[in-house]
Amino acid sequence: MIKLSIRYINLIVLTVFVLLVFSFFLPYLFPGDLLTNITGITPETQQQREALEIAFKLDKSIFHQFVFYIENLFSGNWGVSTATQQSLKTEVALFFPATIELVVYALLFSILVGIPLGFIGGLRHHKGFDFPIVTFSIVGYSFPVFWIALIFITVFCLQLNWLPTSGRLDLLYDLPSVTGFVLIDIALSDIEDKSAAYKDAFRHLILPTLAVSVVTTALFARFVRRSIMDVMEKSYIIAAKSRGFSPWQIFLKHGFKNALIPILPILALQVSTLITNVMIVETIFSWPGIGKWLIEAIYQHDYPAIRIGMLAVSIVVMILTISTEFLTRAIDPTREKVEHATF
Amino acid sequence: MALLDIKNLSLYIDTGNESIKALDKVSLTLDEGEIRALVGESGSGKSLIVRSIIGALPSNWSIKADRINYKGQSLLGMSRSKRREVMRREIAVVFQEPTSALDPSVNIKEQIKESIPPELIDKKWFWQRSKQREQLAISLLHKVGIKNHQRYLDSYPHEIPTDVSQKIMIAMALASEPKILIADDSTRGMESTTKTQILRLLTKLNKTKKLAILFVSHDLLAITSMSHTMTVLYCGQTVESGKVKSLLKRPLHPYTKALLDSAPSFQVSLAPKSPLVALEGTIPTLQHLPTGCRLGPRCPNAKKDCVIAPVPRNIQEHYYSCHFPLHLPNVKKADREVHL
Repeated sequence: MIKLSIRYINLIVLTVFVLLVFSFFLPYLFPGDLLTNITGITPETQQQREALEIAFKLDKSIFHQFVFYIENLFSGNWGVSTATQQSLKTEVALFFPATIELVVYALLFSILVGIPLGFIGGLRHHKGFDFPIVTFSIVGYSFPVFWIALIFITVFCLQLNWLPTSGRLDLLYDLPSVTGFVLIDIALSDIEDKSAAYKDAFRHLILPTLAVSVVTTALFARFVRRSIMDVMEKSYIIAAKSRGFSPWQIFLKHGFKNALIPILPILALQVSTLITNVMIVETIFSWPGIGKWLIEAIYQHDYPAIRIGMLAVSIVVMILTISTEFLTRAIDPTREKVEHATF
Repeated sequence: MALLDIKNLSLYIDTGNESIKALDKVSLTLDEGEIRALVGESGSGKSLIVRSIIGALPSNWSIKADRINYKGQSLLGMSRSKRREVMRREIAVVFQEPTSALDPSVNIKEQIKESIPPELIDKKWFWQRSKQREQLAISLLHKVGIKNHQRYLDSYPHEIPTDVSQKIMIAMALASEPKILIADDSTRGMESTTKTQILRLLTKLNKTKKLAILFVSHDLLAITSMSHTMTVLYCGQTVESGKVKSLLKRPLHPYTKALLDSAPSFQVSLAPKSPLVALEGTIPTLQHLPTGCRLGPRCPNAKKDCVIAPVPRNIQEHYYSCHFPLHLPNVKKADREVHL
């Protein structure tokens, strides 16, 4: 087990290194002035340019520049945005939690709704309740995320006027950003009417969360349904039936785990799709997350921001994927524990 | 009274556009302390009979039977929970391919512990009960001849050799102290030494515990050495059944004779270089079943009458279903009736 953990940590470190190398070379490949691309500052005079070149070691070899880049990254000095002239670290710290919040809620929703739906459909397949589940999963999977988000806004915000269209919280609440997660921030803040603030935050959360999780829920339900159907026909389930166990006991002790283990890596792969979808939905709902921030950076040719944003998002996705892979490897007894780490 | 009594069991498989009669009026009895062999080629429906007894049928299968009785109670008529109770305490099944009949994600210890019925545990607290279950599990493993239980208790099914898994399956079957053990081709694909071990184990259990065994196999050699009675199955029809001795001595059905002839070790006076006897053709697929006696197209004695399914006849507990059995002169049925 320790060996396996070391292998996976090793894999994470190596992948991060590759990502660092890639992101280091990005500003050299971007169009425009290399100095601005790296520093985010547009020099006004020749003297200033020379001073910046010396400060960012552009006069030294590319290897020195790489070491300098890594040193800066790890010391928290991530450079400034060309557009806002703000420190990128504070901007990422401000916007990333909003994305993570949405991802967590959407993922929780998909797991808590999609997996039970899949089990119900698979256990009762081709009977009663299975048909609406299959219909939902096909229809839900076929919706483009951006389109369903727009439909939600049209129906629930503009026509029925039930829910707010954009943002995370009403402007009435002046919420200081401590952790970046809106629900935790409300708990930490000294707002007078906290329950009203919670209610408002929930109302803002519902539509983006639903819009993102429809696709993922449908996919989860599909995979789980298929998998439990296969498992219930395996001979160890028939053997368990021959021992006279109750259907509930057979499902809990033999069906559940065996159905989930083989599809866990596939479900984990969906998480990265989910993050991509969240970034799209953020733009539509003006959710102040990293996706919206990155798209704005792309519009404004804000190369330092693109570089850091890409690095942050890809590292999070990569760590998430590798750790779920590690988890499935650890809990599946039939997987070899000594082979190389993969993802 | 027979422990297990199956009369005219038919099993239909609904393929969507037609209904296939996979088992055609199969009859079978199993007495207390008896080892009955159920013999037939692969595809003859042996496992279907086992599945029908267990009651674990896919939704597109349906069965019809005059009776499937266990100790006089109808298995088909009883409630689901009652039937589960019977399966849990009285009838145990050992499947073919033991490795796939064990749950791959649970270790052996837990699986054996799970198969011990709660009535056998008398301790009060859950940790004591767990301890007792574990001890019972270990003693079960010893019973089936696994001495180094520590080596296997914490292993998962894929880490265990097939013969040991089969012994573990037998141990799990014995956990509930059943009256009947159904061995569904349990020695398939095993080496001859391990096969002998399993067979010896089953014979021993039959002698010491009066365990009735329904031994399903296509391995004639193994069967004749251990069973008391034998039922021969061809293509979902019972062909002949009776005591092993009388079946071997004088088979009445052409199929039984062909089956015995195809195994040279049963022929004492086999001259060197004499040709091996075998039936022409192969067992028909489920989609192309002949009407009447299903052996018809392959049978050396087949006549016009064979398109009607023969009624089982009986000479001294020796049942056969054939219009033209080997002990009667091979003439047209109508003529024979005059002759008789």
